[in-house]
Amino acid sequence: MNPTNPFALAVMAIVALSLLGLPIGHAMIGGSVLYLLLAGLDMGTAAEQLLNGMYTSFVLLAIPLFILAAEFMTSGSITERLLRFCNALVGRFRGGLAQVNVVQSVVFASMSGSALADAAGSGKLMQKLMTQDGKYTASFAAALTAASSVMGPIIPPSIPLVLYALVSDTSIGYLFLGGVVPGLLIGVVQMLLIAFTARRRNFPVEKPVPLRELPRVTWQAFPALMMPVILLGCLYSGVTTPTEAAALAAAYALLVSAFLYRTVGWCDVYNSLLASARITISIGMLIAGALVFNYVITVENIPKTLGAMLKVYELSPLTFLLFANLLLLILGCFLEGTTILLIIVPVLLPTAQALGIDPVHFGVVAVVNIMIGLITPPYGLLLFMMVKIAEVTLKDLVREVMPFLAVMFGALALITLIPGLVLFLPRLMGYQG
Amino acid sequence: MNPFVGKAGAWLRRRAENVAAALLAVMFAAFIVQIVFRYVFNFPIGWTSELSVITWLWLVLWGAAFVVKESEEIRFDLIHGAAGRRTRLAIGIITGVSIVALYAVSLPATVSYVSFMKVEKTSYLKIRFDYLFSIYVLFAVAVIVRYLWILSHLLRGKDPEARDSTTLSSGL
Repeated sequence: MNPTNPFALAVMAIVALSLLGLPIGHAMIGGSVLYLLLAGLDMGTAAEQLLNGMYTSFVLLAIPLFILAAEFMTSGSITERLLRFCNALVGRFRGGLAQVNVVQSVVFASMSGSALADAAGSGKLMQKLMTQDGKYTASFAAALTAASSVMGPIIPPSIPLVLYALVSDTSIGYLFLGGVVPGLLIGVVQMLLIAFTARRRNFPVEKPVPLRELPRVTWQAFPALMMPVILLGCLYSGVTTPTEAAALAAAYALLVSAFLYRTVGWCDVYNSLLASARITISIGMLIAGALVFNYVITVENIPKTLGAMLKVYELSPLTFLLFANLLLLILGCFLEGTTILLIIVPVLLPTAQALGIDPVHFGVVAVVNIMIGLITPPYGLLLFMMVKIAEVTLKDLVREVMPFLAVMFGALALITLIPGLVLFLPRLMGYQG
Repeated sequence: MNPFVGKAGAWLRRRAENVAAALLAVMFAAFIVQIVFRYVFNFPIGWTSELSVITWLWLVLWGAAFVVKESEEIRFDLIHGAAGRRTRLAIGIITGVSIVALYAVSLPATVSYVSFMKVEKTSYLKIRFDYLFSIYVLFAVAVIVRYLWILSHLLRGKDPEARDSTTLSSGL
């Protein structure tokens, strides 16, 4: 590539500005304006692409609504009820609280679509429970919370999968179904790892909750546990569109917390709305920046050029998938995940499709990759967040995270090599892929 | 800072937050109305989806302009965080000047695109698109003003606000 052409300069500007710490959304908009300026195009195009892109991407409305549903669900006493339920379920084993941490992540993952939100919410609570009375070291608890939060956006609902649905024109419903087995698989390998290390590191045993208590604890958590059932039910019966299902989930969460559990007042509702609005704005700016920059990428015909370049090597679908995994994992160490999903994945997609790789399979693999990127050093947002919450050093945290990363790489390899793991459930519900 | 300016700023920020929360509430309500009309009264209506997509557009740009603080934005801060104070100031000035320049240079073309859109109206609510899209102009001006303000602090040698990684919210 000629380093003086407008596209190369724009890319360099975006990379430089983001590396220097400018908010990534602004860096992408700024770099695209620079491209338009250098290429002698109308600079109003940046605004045009952003405004029309946001105005016509109706499917994106699912994102604020899923965020709102999770905010409503986790305000009030619901979190505690769910944690009691998880504790009654798996707290009796050696390393019980660590197992509870994984199971609660599965439960919260089925209500929220964001790993960072899970870590800052129920994850923060688990961190406190695990470290009080010195039961576990702060760095192990933090590593576990970070690793288990990764399931949040793989088990539906999922914000990254909505974004992938947008860039790939794939059905949200099938993508969500495709995430179920891989998400649970990650939970299982984490639980196995804990069971394996529990004896060696002599993790504490909690006082077991008597089995006859289980029905009562389950009953108390039941309305909250029904949320994913309602959400997925609406989606797969085809009764509502994905965005409407998200709105219904939010309405259900509001009703449950306000009327059934009676723990939420007007003030809490306002706070939930504002918190959700903040997250929506942050992710919205990344989407806005990506919409503008993707226009530049399309004008420059980058996906086709890359496809032609890769064609020379006559890659098999499997080699390509491994190449994509490696690329996404490496980028995930340095780039922010939403940006990878909105900029890099669309560039890879045409080649994947030309090679006959199923778009649902590819999407779930890409999202699992990007989620693992949240806990890979040096740049992992979940790591940074847990350093702050748990007050541990990044070095200690990274050391404790390594075994979790290793088993998750194993799970990722399985998901990549066996498409059936992803596609089994979607096919069961009529996916023709 | 002048205490009056500080207080007025905090008051304005809270009002900006009220607007953002209200926009999200309207979006949510529009969806519920839409679902009730379609499935309960078997009477599909179109204006609700138009309203919700308008609130989405406004929420993001309004919020990026007036609600989200510098410390909450998603960015790569490894280099910035590791640098010494002087380097950090220099980096802040370089990025600040770049972003002010790029938003400012595209502002005239942006205004002319937005005002050109006066010829079209939305399908159901019949809102003129130049009114609807004017939020982008407001956003661009707010970004320019915000970074000029940050630059004025940096040039007087004041260190920018530290970032808080527990409030990060990229939606991932």
